[in-house]
Amino acid sequence: MTTDIARMRNIGISAHIDSGKTTLTERILFYCKKIHKIHEVKGKDGVGATMDSMELERERGITIASATTNVEWAGHSVNIIDTPGHVDFTIEVERSLRVLDSAILVLCSVGGVQSQTITVDRQLRRYKVPFIAFVNKADRVGANPIKVRDQISDKLGHRAVLMQLPIGLEGAFNGLVDLVAMKALYFDGLEGEIIRVEPVPGDLAAEAARRREELIDAASLFSDELMEAALEGRATEDMIRAAVRKGVLARELVPVFIGSAYRNKGIQPLLDAVVHYLPDPAEVENRAVDLAAGGAERVLSSDAGAKTVALAFKLEDGPYGQLTYIRVYQGSLRKGDELVNSRSGQKIKVGRLVRMHADTMVEIAEAGPGDIVALFGVECASGDTFCSPGLELAMTAIYVPEPVVSLAIEPVDKAAADRMAKALNRFTKEDPTFRTYVDPESNETIIQGMGELHLDVYVERMKREYRAEVRTGAPQVAYREAISQAVDFDYTHKKQTGGAGQYARIIGRLEPLAKGGFEFSNEVKGGRIPREFIPSCEKGFRAVLKKGQLIGFPVIGVKVIVNDGQYHPVDSSDNAFQTAAQGAFRQVYMKAKPQILEPIMKVSVEGPSEFAGNVFATISQRRGVIVSSVEDGTFSRVDAEVPLAEMFGYATVLRSLTQGKAEFTMEFQKYGRVPAQIAEMLAEQHLEAERQKSQR
Amino acid sequence: MTITVKEEIIRRSPLRVLEKSISGGLGKGHVGVLASRKGVGKTACLVHIAADKLLQGQYVIHVSYASRVDHIVTWYEDIFKEIAKAPKMRSALDEFDDLIRRRVIMNFKQDGSRTEQVLRSLEAMIVHGNFRAETVIVDGLDFDQAGPEDLRKFREFAGRLGLEVWLSASLKKDEPLFDEQGSPYELKDFLGTIDVLISLQHHGDHVHFNLVQDHGRLAPKDLRLKLDPTTLLIAKEPRGRAL
Repeated sequence: MTTDIARMRNIGISAHIDSGKTTLTERILFYCKKIHKIHEVKGKDGVGATMDSMELERERGITIASATTNVEWAGHSVNIIDTPGHVDFTIEVERSLRVLDSAILVLCSVGGVQSQTITVDRQLRRYKVPFIAFVNKADRVGANPIKVRDQISDKLGHRAVLMQLPIGLEGAFNGLVDLVAMKALYFDGLEGEIIRVEPVPGDLAAEAARRREELIDAASLFSDELMEAALEGRATEDMIRAAVRKGVLARELVPVFIGSAYRNKGIQPLLDAVVHYLPDPAEVENRAVDLAAGGAERVLSSDAGAKTVALAFKLEDGPYGQLTYIRVYQGSLRKGDELVNSRSGQKIKVGRLVRMHADTMVEIAEAGPGDIVALFGVECASGDTFCSPGLELAMTAIYVPEPVVSLAIEPVDKAAADRMAKALNRFTKEDPTFRTYVDPESNETIIQGMGELHLDVYVERMKREYRAEVRTGAPQVAYREAISQAVDFDYTHKKQTGGAGQYARIIGRLEPLAKGGFEFSNEVKGGRIPREFIPSCEKGFRAVLKKGQLIGFPVIGVKVIVNDGQYHPVDSSDNAFQTAAQGAFRQVYMKAKPQILEPIMKVSVEGPSEFAGNVFATISQRRGVIVSSVEDGTFSRVDAEVPLAEMFGYATVLRSLTQGKAEFTMEFQKYGRVPAQIAEMLAEQHLEAERQKSQR
Repeated sequence: MTITVKEEIIRRSPLRVLEKSISGGLGKGHVGVLASRKGVGKTACLVHIAADKLLQGQYVIHVSYASRVDHIVTWYEDIFKEIAKAPKMRSALDEFDDLIRRRVIMNFKQDGSRTEQVLRSLEAMIVHGNFRAETVIVDGLDFDQAGPEDLRKFREFAGRLGLEVWLSASLKKDEPLFDEQGSPYELKDFLGTIDVLISLQHHGDHVHFNLVQDHGRLAPKDLRLKLDPTTLLIAKEPRGRAL
């Protein structure tokens, strides 16, 4: 085991769907001698790539949950997280990014920068993750890695610089020129495991020299030493590498590497690059929130002797029982250590400690700062922080978006019901964007998530992993209600039914709040409402906002101002004021001209230009607004804003319209007003449902 | 309330001055060109023209040959922010959302896209996308690569679909750029297919607008408009200051 922190790397592999990152991971494991045989993602050998450990992932050829694995390369210990590509699962990507110190951004030599690449780039930016780029699939027809380099500069706005030149392209792609060492590399042997180093081929010499100049120019910005040496013509390989590394760590330079994972070309140099250019855990500043000091930020130290701070970032129910993936930020983890969960205050004892390699694991005695390991039998939720007793730190909360789709599910029989409950309990702990509750009125179990595919995958997993067969209803959009006009209220709640009476009167105003959310403002003067009942009023409003009168969805964007009222020395109570608040809201809500809001999704459709017309039509038919369309030769991308309610089944429609050649991604953008006609329809449906309920 | 303020803004717009000078406006089926050196402010003018149409409730397609579209989006945001500064222009955000729904940006790669293809995509947007555009803004078409034939195709397209098409032309040759009537030498071959031609020139610290051709007639005239250097909006030139 490596303990030297400088020889440790935590990397993520982020990319667009189908740019081949699972294949790339597979090759990395192979060259690092973690696996003995290469499996393809949709392999004929029926084994599937090693990282896609879930059966479902194997079947669909996509990676859903990020498995983590540890490899050794050139005396360095490298933890790799394979991240999912589909936007529906971005919570996984975002969580990985929180945990990793750096990343490899994988791009396709043909597709280049695609919509999802832009999303991933934005995430890397948000978490300030340094990265290098790998332009994969140089063997494909239409491959143009240099154009992809240009796109990283133009479309993503990075200073991208070529570190290699391809020798031949498409079918003729057979090696790389290393622009730092000025050597040609060929990948021999059955699986590219033998690297043959030769002089740069004559026909590439001039271009290689020119590209090397470009590289040195770009790298010089980060090293005066290199700049001076370059002027005098004595720049060394080490100087160039050191300067590039500085640029990468500052997130101001993106070195671009080329290869074809599928053809076993360019992987070993990429691993060298991970070691050369990406940071070790001590070079990355991590911050935590000090709960004992009112949420002040603390910079963590990468000292193995310091008190322990670690983040549980993923739970998994594997064949070996429950696993908790944990990243150590400060101090160490040893078997037998006692730690405190800073959210729940619960104490845990560290039991078995293992290092993960997709499906197999190695038991270890100790993990130091920067390490990513798994623990057995720890009860917690994803995102919980564990500290040594005496510390109360929380790793800053990972941004969790609100779910936008819900689905009613119903187990087919009693046995399935038990298993379904077990599955739901597990899934909600694993994935904070996946939620579930039982609708008190219909008694149905509702699951909520980030999109149709997101929920589909969980329904599938219930079947396969828990043998819980369920029937599903139609997906439901998470609507919201909002008022559009300010309105005054004056409401008295009075009840006299023998025994103690109830009395409360509140006066004030509702105002629309453009930024959403809820605000409560107390402007009562002279004790017209005693201070102890003010929180009761707020509580009452919060409760009533959970269900609007239009269509029964939560009301957002309201400011409540209470400025007057009355009480009774005997009959006023917490309860009476809560009830009064609810009554006040119900009484004036309709006067505040409430509107129905719906989630509007940012949709990106990519495919051959010949289908652009079809795509425009599908967007327009779905009440969508096309924001822009970009045509780059034969390839085009359409960006649009479309109401989620119209997007169900879009994948199928798009596939059949474009012969499967176009694909789309979508993510939540904002809440927007539902057009009057549809709002009326929704309100009628709601009334009808209420009527039926009351008849029952 | 909002309506009348908006109407007032539309009525007072310096673009009304422009329209008056070109027989009431460019008109459907016609092609207008703004010509100048690079960096003088053609894009700003085109975005202002588009914003004015959007305010009037029209649908607009903005065709761009730039490498990215985000700065065009920002440009519109900025121009609407400027316009929303007008007193009483209430709920600027609401308005903006509504206006943006009627604008599409279509981006094409300069060297990869032939005019037929561009027009095909435009037609797909208008017909299949059910986007009822009345004005098309074309920014950054390379008049060196595209010949008069391409412009003729734009004009034919404008006529067939009932569109007003405004283009920008970047002048790249050596001085002098203009002949004695103010007509750019580089665009001589195109004059037959341009309905309205306006040139933008630096005069001191301001950019001035000169009408060169009005609906087929050579009609050199100072438009008494300038580009405001801080807002990048077209503005009226106070009388007496014009050259």
